[in-house]
Amino acid sequence: MSIAERSSLSRRKLLETGAAAGVILVAGRLGSDEVLGQGAAAGTAALNAWIAVNRDGTVTLQCAHSEMGQGIETTFAAILADELEADWTRVKVVFSPAAPPFRHPVYNWQFTGNAESIRSYHALLRKMGAAAREMLVAAAAARFKVEPAALTTREGVVRHAQSGRSIGYGTLAADAAKLPAPEPPRLKPASEWRLVGNGRSLPRIDIPAKVDGTAVYGIDVKVPGMVHAAVISAPTIGGTIASVDHALVRAMAGVLAVVPLGSAVAVVAEHWWQARVAIEKLSVSWSDGQAGRFDTGFINGLYRKALAGDAWAVAEHHGDAAAVLKRATRVLEAEYWSPWQSHAPMEPMNATVSVTADGATVWAPTQGPQMAQVVLAAVLKIDPEKVTVNRTYLGGGFGRRLLADYIAQSALCSKAVGRPVKLIWHREEDFKQDVYRPGFLTRIRASVGSDDLPLALHQRIVAPTIVGPVSPVPLKPGDVDQLAVEGARELPYAIANNHVDYHMLQVPVPTMVWRTTGFGPNTFVLETVLDELAGWSKQDPYRYRRRLLVRNAAALAVLDRAAALANWGKAPKGRFQGIAFADCFGTYLCQIVEISLVKGAVKLHKVVSVADPGRVFDRANAASNIEGGVMWGLTATLYSELTFEAGHVRERNFDDFAIAQMSDTPEMVTEFLEGREGLGGIGEIGPVCVGPALANALAAATGRRHRILPLARAGVRMA
Amino acid sequence: MAITLSVNGASHTVDVDPDTPLLWVLRDHLGLTGTKFGCGTALCGACTVHVDGEAVRSCVMPVSSLGEGKVTTIEALGAERLHRLQQAWIDLQVPQCGYCQPGFLMAAAALLAQTPKPTEAEIEASITNLCRCGTYARIKSAILAVAG
Repeated sequence: MSIAERSSLSRRKLLETGAAAGVILVAGRLGSDEVLGQGAAAGTAALNAWIAVNRDGTVTLQCAHSEMGQGIETTFAAILADELEADWTRVKVVFSPAAPPFRHPVYNWQFTGNAESIRSYHALLRKMGAAAREMLVAAAAARFKVEPAALTTREGVVRHAQSGRSIGYGTLAADAAKLPAPEPPRLKPASEWRLVGNGRSLPRIDIPAKVDGTAVYGIDVKVPGMVHAAVISAPTIGGTIASVDHALVRAMAGVLAVVPLGSAVAVVAEHWWQARVAIEKLSVSWSDGQAGRFDTGFINGLYRKALAGDAWAVAEHHGDAAAVLKRATRVLEAEYWSPWQSHAPMEPMNATVSVTADGATVWAPTQGPQMAQVVLAAVLKIDPEKVTVNRTYLGGGFGRRLLADYIAQSALCSKAVGRPVKLIWHREEDFKQDVYRPGFLTRIRASVGSDDLPLALHQRIVAPTIVGPVSPVPLKPGDVDQLAVEGARELPYAIANNHVDYHMLQVPVPTMVWRTTGFGPNTFVLETVLDELAGWSKQDPYRYRRRLLVRNAAALAVLDRAAALANWGKAPKGRFQGIAFADCFGTYLCQIVEISLVKGAVKLHKVVSVADPGRVFDRANAASNIEGGVMWGLTATLYSELTFEAGHVRERNFDDFAIAQMSDTPEMVTEFLEGREGLGGIGEIGPVCVGPALANALAAATGRRHRILPLARAGVRMA
Repeated sequence: MAITLSVNGASHTVDVDPDTPLLWVLRDHLGLTGTKFGCGTALCGACTVHVDGEAVRSCVMPVSSLGEGKVTTIEALGAERLHRLQQAWIDLQVPQCGYCQPGFLMAAAALLAQTPKPTEAEIEASITNLCRCGTYARIKSAILAVAG
């Protein structure tokens, strides 16, 4: 049974058991007409679900994924257009519906995340583009009465060199659309790509609208007859409404309704500010969540108990680490903590939903359009096919917008008032109702062999689930969360004995994935331990890693290139360097950080990043993403964390949840290699090695090893 | 209550509570959604507009306090064509998700109007807007490129 089939059946089973995250396979496949329902005009011919050619020669391409700054709106279209041989200046991109043709080819689920848009869809996109091109060629061949092989295509035109005749795609489209799709179509070799790869960069098609204020994010949506909702949630996690007295509020200007939502209450008003003011005046009595008014100490106690216990699931067992460690004369033993984090994208959670007798229409900045269909279907008790999801631009996602809880809240408000409702969480609610990246508590034990290289690693990782809320197969206590152990389980290094135990901690706090998944915390542990082991035999950390990567030419090339760019070992006096390497999201990554100390504060000079994702489709965009990721990694390493107080997170805005600012920005040098086999991701890798490289540089500068993040907690200040 | 304000060179009269932040008058009453809501408490700068040419965080400014002040939003930053900063933002491909960028552009434009050739330190001290995607390096480069 294929993975797709297996996950489909699991989803059906979920639905049968009534789980809110259950999934129904949408029966059948939508025809092109239905897929292009939004905006399909007369004179548009759909060559397949992804590509429509208009009579005037413009081409409309469907973008299956969500644009949140990673440039996928541009690159997905460029891959299609390249194979299609479309005129890039006459391409229009629309965000596709949530529909079967656009689902992940393996998971059979439509979502944007896990840094895998391109690597998962690449083959499909090229096939769709190439098939459409061949249909156009076949139509031209029939018109010109020549063999297809006698024709060439370039920028939306088919040419017959011998006779000098040419014909545009627009003229051919109607005929082409009637032809069968070739199976298989001929794909261009990479050497023939014109828009992507081979060092190219395209100007992003969304950027002009993002600098002139016209780009529409979810929060900007305008629907006729729309009203607005603000939300206040329970003061404790898991808390619910005991009673609501909305008499005072119902009389306030503009207020239309008070809508209880179980764990929260919404006020619907003509204008959002009226709703915002009203929720402050709402008289609600709440029942505390099951864990009551717990604090950080309570949560930490759960971690400690699990770490001291023996309830472990084996995530990796390679060689026999326990035996090797037992007979080792020297064992490194250390505990590490990566803190709780909030997604906190700059655009807070919001959704606009219109519920009518015909179903529900959603306009939202969502990473999970299919999740939205499924969740609304369950909440409204309708068919998921009756939920239309229109995707806007996203003001950041980072994983949070995979879920549809805020979309469901908006739907319930719309149902209550019988009008479209735009529901917006103010920032404090966005922190309160986040589904958090949990803390990771790790104990690692390590020893070296007679060659001074690491011989055995044994890690015990305690962390609540991160993939749970988005997993097609429900996870239960005792399972291994594969995303939580990424970066610990499979090592890029030749280390003969690697054992990873994982404990899926049960906590009274909702948890989910966050940009970097398990690679973030686990790479911090591994790469700082590696430096420490190198120190035992006074080996240079770069050369130490060289020895560990010696059999992997592509990985070694990345390490070497980073060292060369960073002038490793030749930093000016008073500057200290730290290095870290990872094989993450299918990409080799090496980052080197250079710092100096100014009156005890850390001056961050430079971050060098070298990555090999196999193939880079858009160089400038990939570099931009990595450099933005460096700042994400610096934030997570230096500043941000969540703590608990009175049954909830304490941090509610950017004063308490500190993120990196412009003054924290180092000089950055970013390069790519393309030696690795296969395709790797870019979107989540930028942060992964920055933290450990910085900690290693700090250790070089001060002799002190930091194992507890964020570094601000240990008094590390930035100059 | 009827409040009259000048926005992007035009006069508007809106019926709002006088305590309504300027941000929400712009977005919900005047339909100018280029100015963004990020934090509601003047920490992030996504809501930055100009009032008489000075950068102001509009999420904490009650519309009634505007008086005769002339508001300029991102929609009117460029007159007939893009402001040099907006063009630089495109040339250097500055935005990622882009949500914070109107606020940065307005803050940068106000800075350059006052300090035509700011140093890096002056830029960092003046532009304290937050960007979760981490585009700061390119923002700084774009400002320096325009300052020349």
